[in-house]
Amino acid sequence: MISEELTAFIESGVSILVGTRDHANRPYGMRGVGVRASADRKSLTVLLPDATGKRALADVRDNGRVAFTFTRPIDHRSIQLKGAVTSVRAATDEERRQAEKYIDDWAGHVEVVGLPRALGSRLACWPSTAVTVRIESVFHQTPGPSAGARVTGNP
Amino acid sequence: MTVRLRDLSACFHGIIPSIMATCSKDGEPNVTYISQVYYLDESHVALSCQFFNKTRINVGENPQAFVQVHDPVTFEAYELDLRFVRSETSGPTFESMSVRIQAIASQTGMSGVFRLLSADLYEVVAVRKLEELLSATPADAPKPLPVTDHRSELRALQVVSERLNRAVDLESLLSSFLVALGEELGFDHAMILLPDEARERLFTVASSGYGESGVGAEVAFGDGLIGTVAREKKILRTSDLGGDLRYGRAIRGEVTGSSLAHVLTPEIALPGLADARSHLAIPLLVQDRLVAVLAVESKSPLGFEEWHEAFLHIVGNQAAIALDRMIEDEEVGPPSFVRAPSLPPASRRSRALKFYQSDDCVFVDDEYLIRNVPARILWKLLKTHTAEGRIEFTNRELRLDPWLGLPPVKDNLESRLILLRKRLEEKCPDIRIPSCGRGHFRLEIDCVLDLKEI
Repeated sequence: MISEELTAFIESGVSILVGTRDHANRPYGMRGVGVRASADRKSLTVLLPDATGKRALADVRDNGRVAFTFTRPIDHRSIQLKGAVTSVRAATDEERRQAEKYIDDWAGHVEVVGLPRALGSRLACWPSTAVTVRIESVFHQTPGPSAGARVTGNP
Repeated sequence: MTVRLRDLSACFHGIIPSIMATCSKDGEPNVTYISQVYYLDESHVALSCQFFNKTRINVGENPQAFVQVHDPVTFEAYELDLRFVRSETSGPTFESMSVRIQAIASQTGMSGVFRLLSADLYEVVAVRKLEELLSATPADAPKPLPVTDHRSELRALQVVSERLNRAVDLESLLSSFLVALGEELGFDHAMILLPDEARERLFTVASSGYGESGVGAEVAFGDGLIGTVAREKKILRTSDLGGDLRYGRAIRGEVTGSSLAHVLTPEIALPGLADARSHLAIPLLVQDRLVAVLAVESKSPLGFEEWHEAFLHIVGNQAAIALDRMIEDEEVGPPSFVRAPSLPPASRRSRALKFYQSDDCVFVDDEYLIRNVPARILWKLLKTHTAEGRIEFTNRELRLDPWLGLPPVKDNLESRLILLRKRLEEKCPDIRIPSCGRGHFRLEIDCVLDLKEI
């Protein structure tokens, strides 16, 4: 289970990085455009834009292994969660509103570190695919000597 | 869409962090931000390894890797499929990345924690533009930066070079160099620092484009961006948007082991733009000897590109030789006699000057003025004037005075006099030391002196 505090951080509009790999262990990375934790906080559903998500979506359909890194731009606080895909489906209308709100929040985060809001808010988010992942492990990822250490008290 | 790596130079400034993905041999993906991708050649890039983390472990067992870089102006993204080649712990790639990281570490008080373990070299297997990352372009979207017109910069180079050649003394050389950098090459915020006698610290001798001149501000070798450039004798260029890589603040000279430390600490701040987004510092060398450091700043995160570095290298080489010649030159010309009008005795105010022997510094009316060699020079001039009434002095007699502690060769006397002259202009304009021909200067005093040694 992901802690309540961590869930709040993940859902606060911070940057979402999605890592996947193909059948030959070739890695790939991209930006997600929205995230929600499940009620039991054991799964995360991340939205991937269809236009930029082709390779990542093919990867998760192939083998289901996913890594997510959430980073707050202002202080680089970062956390990485890894797990297995449990569902891949078209995003709903409700999730479309989520994605639009995410872009707005995220553009605010990156504006603070110098990316003009007019640029950040242009990150395309629709149509999107919702990828749900059951979280198996959580790691500290804030740059520094303890990056990569497992977060205790989480799955 | 296929893209050439060299067309992506703006993406390699480390302004927007890049996404990096790797995968363990067991098929577990890993994704993280990395601060900078270094361009090496058309088919190779280097990434810095500062901590032996999961990324590094993964590429050790599965060399396939991936990065996504952003153009910092348009925010368009490019994808690079990579293959890990090797880790280097020495050599030119390692050295240049290491210098940059040391400067960041020193600037953020992280020396020792934050250091380059290795420069990791990757072959670039494929490069693509990531299409449709951004929604449709509005009419006012930022355009990519125009390609620089190098011909006009070549002409500018010629002008700078001519100005350097025309300078007759160190002071005019320094000021015409800074003016030329601003007018001809667009470096509007610049400063020049010279190493002190012990070659442990640098002092600011001239600056342009700052409200406060900062003349006299000191930086220890190895400290921050400028100190690192002095110690390593390597050029450093940085651009950044934020977080722990933010450089844009002034460093203050530090006073250690001093009973007056609490008084002296805020003495003179290094000039700096509060909102600087790019910095470039270059060592001015003659053979392998450091003559000076030139530091420039810009408010634009893309203020400095490779060609700036290349041009400053050329200009810097010329300036180094000219500076060295001026500093070394012992030639003494005939004195000229142009005297500034002095105030009539009735309107003279009293100035209290104190020389603190233990701290080797002079305060004027309880405000810090100057220390070390220039402080001793001032004190000698004032005492000689008080005792003998003299107003004419020569560089030679200062060199011969052992109390001043000038080294027998390659002394900094001329630059120390410039520093003293400028500090007096700023803090005590009633005392002036104008030059009156090469090797001669005059002491002009428009106040009643109250001298105390403590």
